[in-house]
Amino acid sequence: MQSDNERMIADTVQRIFTDNITHAVRAHAEAGQVPEGIWRVITENGLHLALASADAGGSELTWHDAYPILRGIGYWQVPVPLAETLVAAALLSDAGINVPEGPMTLIEVGRHDGLHLQRDAQTLILQGRAVNVPWASVARWAVISAHVHEVPATELPRIALIDLAQEGVIVSAGRTVAGEPQGELKFDAVPTTATATYPSTYLSEPVLSLGALARSAMIVGALEAALHESVTYANDRVQFGRPIGKNQAIQQSLAEMAGEVLSARMATEVAFTSMSDSGRAHSRQFDVAVAKVRASESATRVSSIAHQVHGAIGFTHEHALHFATRRLWAWRKDFGSDAFWANRLGHAAIQAGSEGFWPALTDRSLLAQTIAPY
Amino acid sequence: MQQIQIDPCSLDAKCEALRAEAREFLAEALCDYRPADRAANWSGVSAEFSRKLGERGWIGMTWPKRFGGQERTALERYVVLEELLAAGAPVGAHWIADRQSGPLLMRFSPEVLAPRILPGITRGETFFCIGMSEPNSGSDLASIRTRAERCADGWKINGSKVWTTGAQRAHYMIALVRTAAPSDERHAGLSQFLIDMRTPGITVRPIRNYLGEAEFNEVFLDNVIVSDDCVIGAPGDGWKQVGAELALERSGPERYLSSTQLLLEMLDAADPADSAMATELGRLTARYATMRQMSLGVAGMLSRGESPGVAAAIVKDQGALLEQSIPDVAHALFGDTALDQTSLATVQNYITQASPSFSLRGGTREILRGIIARGLSLR
Repeated sequence: MQSDNERMIADTVQRIFTDNITHAVRAHAEAGQVPEGIWRVITENGLHLALASADAGGSELTWHDAYPILRGIGYWQVPVPLAETLVAAALLSDAGINVPEGPMTLIEVGRHDGLHLQRDAQTLILQGRAVNVPWASVARWAVISAHVHEVPATELPRIALIDLAQEGVIVSAGRTVAGEPQGELKFDAVPTTATATYPSTYLSEPVLSLGALARSAMIVGALEAALHESVTYANDRVQFGRPIGKNQAIQQSLAEMAGEVLSARMATEVAFTSMSDSGRAHSRQFDVAVAKVRASESATRVSSIAHQVHGAIGFTHEHALHFATRRLWAWRKDFGSDAFWANRLGHAAIQAGSEGFWPALTDRSLLAQTIAPY
Repeated sequence: MQQIQIDPCSLDAKCEALRAEAREFLAEALCDYRPADRAANWSGVSAEFSRKLGERGWIGMTWPKRFGGQERTALERYVVLEELLAAGAPVGAHWIADRQSGPLLMRFSPEVLAPRILPGITRGETFFCIGMSEPNSGSDLASIRTRAERCADGWKINGSKVWTTGAQRAHYMIALVRTAAPSDERHAGLSQFLIDMRTPGITVRPIRNYLGEAEFNEVFLDNVIVSDDCVIGAPGDGWKQVGAELALERSGPERYLSSTQLLLEMLDAADPADSAMATELGRLTARYATMRQMSLGVAGMLSRGESPGVAAAIVKDQGALLEQSIPDVAHALFGDTALDQTSLATVQNYITQASPSFSLRGGTREILRGIIARGLSLR
């Protein structure tokens, strides 16, 4: 159920995004033109600081109330690093680090071979290479979570802010399947700008988990856009003298699609709800994993059905469908694909066995033990 | 799409306390119940178990005390149901009466039939069957031809029903029949009757399925006389009433949990070192968690008096996809290695064969998707 806060945020998001995110904006962004005007509107309205503390200039929204912003990025296919900056600001703010100006990206250090946060005399430095970093060439800062290299992993994870405009940082720019900036960042003994212990004890890899949570909401938004486009098209497109949506074959596909969208949305909304429910701390890792698996799986099925329903017109650049479906193909991979998170869930389920599975499922605590050391 | 909404629903401490009670009860009541028996899930039948459950007050548990109920909340009932199903308890004997026949009588005959019949249901002693489908009327339910005509003693019913689960043990049938000739208004002229299965003129003939079970039946109604007070609701309102009944039939946890025993067997048989196996079982885990929230969400909506017909259809459609994917995953992961006679192979054989029915019973996949498509405002 929507709280008043959530409804107010949803209205604001709808107003800002419907006014500003046009077909032309998306197309220009894809062609390499950074939409600075959009970024200005977003930051003037404080959307990027929605989860940050008041001290950091933020709105201190709960994850539950901020859900419409992240869903909106998907529904309107907003071509700026808003989700990354939003999550980065939340992590910094939770860790008591000042939130800087400018777009930010996210790196979970342990997910990149040979990338380490390590001690160098009295300071911590970042060394190595991070790949597939969202908005690598656009972001001014990176927020990382990491365990300090060669320190036992029982220690709490650290959050660190890295200035990407400094010596020792080399960017090689690339693009996602949706044509959004993504790239490789090389760090040669790069000092952190600030670092602190991540205070929460319920997410083992904060950047990875919260990134997955944010992507799940974005996927839900893009799924809803694809479904909306498909239903509209099926009602409008006339063949053999009637709308193609009158055909049972099309109706059956769209009904399955609606089931996929509703499943992804339920899994994701449950995860956002438990992020804001202190009695559900032990469920959060599980809920996030479930959300990213179901949202990413639905991304695959829904984009397939949407294109089939649209026929050839959906294959053109002129039609808007691809802005949603190509993002679905990109986002299902980010911050752990469906297979990645399913693998973690599966190992835990096998360990629980026939006796432990159902109790852990009803308590949603299947992944709680993996963070027991904290 | 915005109008198709299921809100997440959370269970309070009272529900969780009841869950603990249900687990304790089931651990004892089912201590000798084998995996192969549990595989039948809610198709499993034990009159003895139904009576035990009735003694605990867990049949008709939301109903008023004057009807033998416990006046529990719909969500408390949901918790008990999901625990029964996850354990594969043999709830088949009383399931239909608890799920839909009792609520139907309570709603449309609260003064006459409900006080007479509901207490027996709550004791786990009175069982029901549903007389909807006929030999030439399956998904197209409005085309039924069984008819009731006025007679001196009330109504005289002639015709036949088919795929009637549990008719061989049911004490009553709730039958949908024609009380007026078919007209342009296809859904008019239908009425629901309560029929005592001991009434002269009723013949029950079992239909064996390919698993060797004879759970469903043909029921022949030959000049069956029922009294006037056995009309449920108003004559002619049958179609509307059946719609409400089907919403109850389609939204419960039984619509995604039917293959649970096979998932549990796979978890025990899995090789923890096999990463690909873990991924597949993890996908099923994510689906279980999501379906549970969707089913629970619909239960929450029903408990607030909403009528989530389209949402219920989506839950049943998605639930059947999950239930039917489990034997496929079992085949992919263990088809080459599972040995005969093991508990995994026995359960796998049973559920593989049972699974086609999961998207047929209670409304076929195609009918459900038609309902969903209308909900999407496909014109």
